[in-house]
Amino acid sequence: MAVIEVDDLTRSYRAASGIWRRSSKVIEAVKGISFEVERGELFGLLGPNGAGKTTTIKMLITLLLPTGGHARVLGQDVVKDAREVRRRVGYVFGGDRGLYERLSGLDNLKYFAELYGVPRRDQGPRIGELLELVKLDGRERERVEGYSRGMRQRLHIARGLLHKPEVLFLDEPSIGIDPVGARELRQTVASLVEGGTTVLLTTHYMFEADELCDRIAVIAGGEIVARGTPAELKRGVSGGSVLEVEVFGSAEDSMATVRSLPGVTSVVVEDRGQAQVLVVRVDTGAEVTQAVLATLGGVPVGRVATREPTLEDAYVELVETGVPA
Amino acid sequence: MTSVRVFFIGGWTSYRALFGWLSPWILIPTFIIEPVFQILFFAYVGRDAGVGDDSFFLVGNAIQFASIPCLFAMGNTIGGERYAQTLGLLLVSPARRVPLFLGRALPVIVNGLLCSLIALGLGAAILRVSIPLDSLPLLALVVAVSSFACTGLGLVAAALALRVRETAVLSNLVMGVLLIFCGVNVALSALPGWMAAVGRVLPLTHGIEAARALVSGAAWSNVRGLVVDEAVIGLGYLVIGLAMLKWFEVESRRSASLDRA
Amino acid sequence: MTAVLRLLLVGWWLQLKMRSRSAFDGILAIVYPLFFATSVLLMYRQGGSESALIGAAVGASVLGVWSAVATTASTSLQQERRLGTLELLVAAPTRFALLVVPMTLAMGTIGLYSLVATLLWGRFAFGIPISLGHPLVFALASVATAVGVSLMGFLLAVSAVRYRGAWALGTAFELPVWLVCGFLVPIAALPGWVRPISWVLPPTWGVAAIRHAAFGGSPWGDIALCLLLSVLYAVVGTWLSGRLVTSARTHATLALT
Repeated sequence: MAVIEVDDLTRSYRAASGIWRRSSKVIEAVKGISFEVERGELFGLLGPNGAGKTTTIKMLITLLLPTGGHARVLGQDVVKDAREVRRRVGYVFGGDRGLYERLSGLDNLKYFAELYGVPRRDQGPRIGELLELVKLDGRERERVEGYSRGMRQRLHIARGLLHKPEVLFLDEPSIGIDPVGARELRQTVASLVEGGTTVLLTTHYMFEADELCDRIAVIAGGEIVARGTPAELKRGVSGGSVLEVEVFGSAEDSMATVRSLPGVTSVVVEDRGQAQVLVVRVDTGAEVTQAVLATLGGVPVGRVATREPTLEDAYVELVETGVPA
Repeated sequence: MTSVRVFFIGGWTSYRALFGWLSPWILIPTFIIEPVFQILFFAYVGRDAGVGDDSFFLVGNAIQFASIPCLFAMGNTIGGERYAQTLGLLLVSPARRVPLFLGRALPVIVNGLLCSLIALGLGAAILRVSIPLDSLPLLALVVAVSSFACTGLGLVAAALALRVRETAVLSNLVMGVLLIFCGVNVALSALPGWMAAVGRVLPLTHGIEAARALVSGAAWSNVRGLVVDEAVIGLGYLVIGLAMLKWFEVESRRSASLDRA
Repeated sequence: MTAVLRLLLVGWWLQLKMRSRSAFDGILAIVYPLFFATSVLLMYRQGGSESALIGAAVGASVLGVWSAVATTASTSLQQERRLGTLELLVAAPTRFALLVVPMTLAMGTIGLYSLVATLLWGRFAFGIPISLGHPLVFALASVATAVGVSLMGFLLAVSAVRYRGAWALGTAFELPVWLVCGFLVPIAALPGWVRPISWVLPPTWGVAAIRHAAFGGSPWGDIALCLLLSVLYAVVGTWLSGRLVTSARTHATLALT
């Protein structure tokens, strides 16, 4: 049975600007997406910043009302049965906000345990258990303002798990944590799933989604552009090759021209130190190196290389073109 | 010439950043409702306590209100700049420092002046106190000099703000001291001797006295001495404030405490 | 019911802890009203009437109760938004109003510290002999006033949350309430049209009760009215906070970004 059912979910914002004369325009953040997450699954919503991931999660945890479509979590409608949904899901977001700085970690947890109606006699053991899980035991009486980013993030996870939610929503949990912390975080998430919790995770890190998720939906520009298991997504990108050209100067100018060359599937510019790198996806058999170099005109060029496409390329391409590979 | 430019440009940029939230929803409560009600509050308390008359509280509180933007703006500007970590940049910039910091003061003085005069006008209308029309230009001058003097004190507070974290708390405390010691609601003659002595070396005291005299019909020659005293006191605080900034700057370069939160 | 009380209690205690750790909310909330109280006491001392001075010492002590709430209530929810906790509070299954009330109750409690501090200040700095007729009843009237002020703050907090200049609004209410609720000047001395406004504000009755408890007269009617009005404010505030949350979910105004 599906634990999360999302059907043609839409959300638009009215963005206002100006003090005296308010002008407004409508921005569509999520444009009719649908997906299902099964019980016990770890589902990844993968996409760049501003793709609509956070908006989607916020609709599912009842913080935002959808402007169209439906969503059910644990069989409850996120609009009509908001209170019931809130009781049964957990929400953790990345970054170091969302904690009471002047209180200790323990006080933060006590407060939220109360908010979620955790019975008083269960609070002590539950908090102790969670502190151990996120490796904060021994530090819980210190004020949060002295915590490192990683510690804050782990405290967030403990907070999100206080009421033993059946579904946990993790919104970019690894943002701003160092690689070691991020690895520990992934281990924690993996162990939660082993324990039977359903997890919906958003991230813009390909490898994170690859390592953790049972299934992934790639979201870009408010729409789902691809979905499947990590293996399925990888299969979609085999074939063709990638041409990388290091450019010392502005590479953006020639992007449009390069994109229009026959045999070119997509073009992206990446910054690498002082240089920019033009990453060109090329169809099997097509030879575009000379043509690409010609479009650059007088701009100084460094290393030029051709390689096999990776999962990262698939993701970048999906996000750039919005067309499934 | 460069100094003049830094004075104006530096001053304006900083003030605009500070009032980035410029909106009538903030300006009206802060600069109109608050001062007018402070005047009314003390005027009614004065009536109940049987001291002073409406005009006494009107003038005292209206002029005291000129000090608030000066104190807070100076403190917040420099404190805020440290917060945004631009203070270090500002201090190492080759522009000469004195005009730089005075530049911050000018728009604040104008603000204090406007604020005070509006409160004076509205308060007078509500309490039906008549202010001789021909005293207005001199009254404006007195308010301007008092605002300048308070800016001097504001600069001292701002320099201190480099050392304490809670700028707003500090500005509030200074404001409270001015409220009690400067004869705003209790004439210096009715204060204990030591308090009156403190009041005489604070900004505002002489300005308020001069303004009260003007409203009751005194001529310029009668208040000139008071206005000069007020200006000299302001200048004194300005010098102290600049010296403190200079000293903290040297000090903090050595200990790198400027950007510490 | 006990769960709700527990939630209020825990919330209040943690909020109090948090606020007393901030120089601005904690120390200043106690020191700042002292400046006004000092001015006022100096004025009454100059006036020369001993009984008026004693009355003022009691009235001035209540100034800070309102200040502690007025200056912080209107910004409290924006503070939560800045901390990033506002979304978490809304996402919890508990009714939002039950999370805001403890915040303003904690502010009112800090206001009670200010009340005690000002009374002591009057006693020791001004040597004003205050002999409270019924100390226990006085304490009760003070708590009732603090509750009234807190729930007024609750209404202020939920009505001001979507307003960017909320802090300015709160500060602007500080002095008008001092004047209109008769903290020092009897309401009878104000223009007649102000009186109906005074009557609908809980602190008016709270201050009256405090005076009765200190100087004789029955405070019970005033305490009852103060609490009754508080309940009314709480009901309106709760209704408003429900609408507020719905509107925030519609317009996406919970997050800072």
